[in-house]
Amino acid sequence: MKRMTRPFLAAALAAAALFSTVPAGAAGPGIGECMDCHGDKTIEKTLPNGQALSLHVDLRAYRSSVHGKDSCVTCHSDAKAPHEKLAKVVCGRCHGDAAKSYSMSSHGILRAKGVTDVPACYDCHGKHDIRRPKDPEARTFRLNIAATCLRCHKDQALEQKYNLPDQKAMVAYERSVHGMASKKAGLTGSAVCVDCHGNHEILPGDQPRSATNRQKIPTMCGKCHPGILEKYEKSVHGKGMRAGIAESPVCTDCHGEHTIARVSDPSSSVSSRNIPKTCSGCHEKESISTRYALPKNRFSSYMDSFHGIALEYGMTKVANCASCHGVHDILPASDPASTVNKANLPKTCGKCHPNAGPNFAKGDVHVEVSPGKAMGVFAVRLFYTIFISALVILFVLHVGLELYGRWNRRKENGTGGKEGRS
Amino acid sequence: MSRADLAAGKVIRMSLLFRIQHLLLTVLLTVLAITGFALMYHENSLAQWIIRLEGGVHNRGIVHRIAAVLLMANLVYHVFYMLFSREGKPELRQLFIGRQDIDDFLQSLRYNLGMAKEYPRFGRYGFKEKFQYWGASAGIVLISFTGIMLWAEDFSMAFFPKVVLDLAIIIHGYQGLLGFVLLYLWHIYNVHLHPSVFPMNPSWITGKVSAEWLRREHPLEYEKLKEEGLL
Repeated sequence: MKRMTRPFLAAALAAAALFSTVPAGAAGPGIGECMDCHGDKTIEKTLPNGQALSLHVDLRAYRSSVHGKDSCVTCHSDAKAPHEKLAKVVCGRCHGDAAKSYSMSSHGILRAKGVTDVPACYDCHGKHDIRRPKDPEARTFRLNIAATCLRCHKDQALEQKYNLPDQKAMVAYERSVHGMASKKAGLTGSAVCVDCHGNHEILPGDQPRSATNRQKIPTMCGKCHPGILEKYEKSVHGKGMRAGIAESPVCTDCHGEHTIARVSDPSSSVSSRNIPKTCSGCHEKESISTRYALPKNRFSSYMDSFHGIALEYGMTKVANCASCHGVHDILPASDPASTVNKANLPKTCGKCHPNAGPNFAKGDVHVEVSPGKAMGVFAVRLFYTIFISALVILFVLHVGLELYGRWNRRKENGTGGKEGRS
Repeated sequence: MSRADLAAGKVIRMSLLFRIQHLLLTVLLTVLAITGFALMYHENSLAQWIIRLEGGVHNRGIVHRIAAVLLMANLVYHVFYMLFSREGKPELRQLFIGRQDIDDFLQSLRYNLGMAKEYPRFGRYGFKEKFQYWGASAGIVLISFTGIMLWAEDFSMAFFPKVVLDLAIIIHGYQGLLGFVLLYLWHIYNVHLHPSVFPMNPSWITGKVSAEWLRREHPLEYEKLKEEGLL
C-alpha cells in the first residue's frame, strides 16, 4: 500500500498547489452553483426583528475584489448547495496578524463581548467587495478612510454611548489641514485617521499601548514631520517630555488634534493671534511656574505690552511668543543657544527693531511688575498712583471747604458773601 | 478796550491769540485723552469700543500722533510767544509763583474755615490759576518727551535699555492721567462749576469778563486797571 499511495499523495499535493485557488468540486459547491441562488437580486431572508436582509451577492463586485479569484467556500467553508444559516466567516484564518491586533483593540474587545455596533472586519473592509488599500475604490484607500471611520464616528448616539469625544471633534478633522489636504487637494501623503490611531489595533489615547498615547505622539507626528521632530527633541519641551515629565507639551498640546490648522489660518491654535492663549494655557498656571521655577504672569505681562495690545487688535505682524522664543526649538533663556538668551537678544529683537543693540537688551523683558522684578516701573507706577489719588482727594477736600465756607457765610452780604468769592 | 466794552462794563482778559491757543489745547488734549486712555485701559469694553470706532489700534495711533504733533507745535509757539512777544512777556511775569501765592493759599483755607476775615486779594492770576498753568505745562513737556521717545522707538532703542522705554510708557500714561485729572476735574470746576462763574466763565470764547467779576475775583488787577485809567 505504501508504495502505491506515495506517488498518489504527491500528485494530489501538486494538484492542490497548482489549483489551490480553484478547489476541487468535491470540497464544496463552485461559484456558479452559489450564484444560482445568490445571483437573484430579490433573494432575502427575514431577520428575527422582522427586517428583511438581502442575500444577493454582486458577482462583478466580487470578481473585481481582492478575493475575486478565490471561491465562495474559501471563506464560507461550510457552504453546501442548498444550505441553512452558515457559520461566521473567520478572516483570521488567513489574516492571523490582523485578527490578533484587532482582538486587542477597543473594537475587537467589545466585539468579542458580543457587542454588535462596533466594527468587525467587514465594516471597514467590506464583504464580497474587499479591495486592496491601494485601490482608489477601496474603503480603506487613504482618501476614503476618513469617510469609512466617520460612518460611525459622526453618529452622535454612538459617540455618547461609548463616551467618545464630541462628534464635532471627529468631524473637525475634515476641516483640518490634514483633512483638507486629503479631501480637497487629494494628497495621499496627508495624515488620515489610521496614520495616528493605527488601524486594527485602535485604542483610546489614555492606554499605554495606544498609538495616540501622549508619550508616543512626537514620534508619531515625526513619521511625516521628521525635521520638526528633530528640532523638538532638542527643545526644552522635547527634552522634558522624553524625561517623562507629563506636563511637558507634545505636538497636540499646541497644535490640537483633529483641529490642526495652518499657522496662517486665523482659527489655528498656533496662529499669531491665538498663540499667546495657547502658550499661556500652561505658562499662566501658577502651579507650573512654581514647579519648574519659571517666571510668572507670562500672559498678562505680554498682553499689557505694546506687542500684546497691538496683537489683540489684529496687528498680526507684531511679535508674539513664538517670534522671540522660537517654535519647536524653544530653549530656556539660560541656554546659550536660546533666542532669548541675553547674548542673543539683540539679534532676536533686531529681526524687527534693527537698532536694538546690546545696550537695549540690558535688564529684564516682559516681567511682572513687582519690586523684585521691575523696581523702576513698580516705583514710578506707585508714585503716580499715590500722587494722583492724593491730588484728587485734595481737590475734593478743597471744593468741599469752599462750599463749607460759602454755607457759613450765606447770611452775610457783600464781599465774600452770597455773591462774593469763596 | 473799546468804548462799547467799557460802556457794557466788560474787560478783555484773553486776547484772540491766547483764545486760539487755548481752544487748540482743549480740542487736542481731548483727542489725545480719548485715544490715549483707550490704549492704556485696553482691557475695558468702553476702551475697546473707542478703539474700534477709531478704526483699530493702528489708526488710533495715527490720530494720537497727529494730535500730539499739533499740541507740541502749539506748545512751542506758546513758549516763544510768552518769552518774546509784547503781550506774552508781561503775562509770563504775572504767572510766576512767589511767596505771596503760598500765603494766599493758606489765607483762603483760613477764610473758608472762618478763621480769617478777608479772602486773599489776587492780581491778574490767583494761586489756583498759576498752579494749573505750571502743572499743565510741566505735564505737557514731560508727556511730549516720553511720547517722542516711544514714537521713535527704534531710534530710542539705540540709546536706552528696555527698562527706560518701559518707564517711558508708564510715565507717559500716568502723566496723561494726572493731566486729565488736573484739567478735567480741577479746571472745569474752576471755570464752569465754581459759584462765582457758574455756568461758565465766558472769557475763553469772548475773551471778556465783566468789570464787576474782575473787581470781586481779582481786585488787585481791577485796581491796577482803574489806576491806569483803562476802566
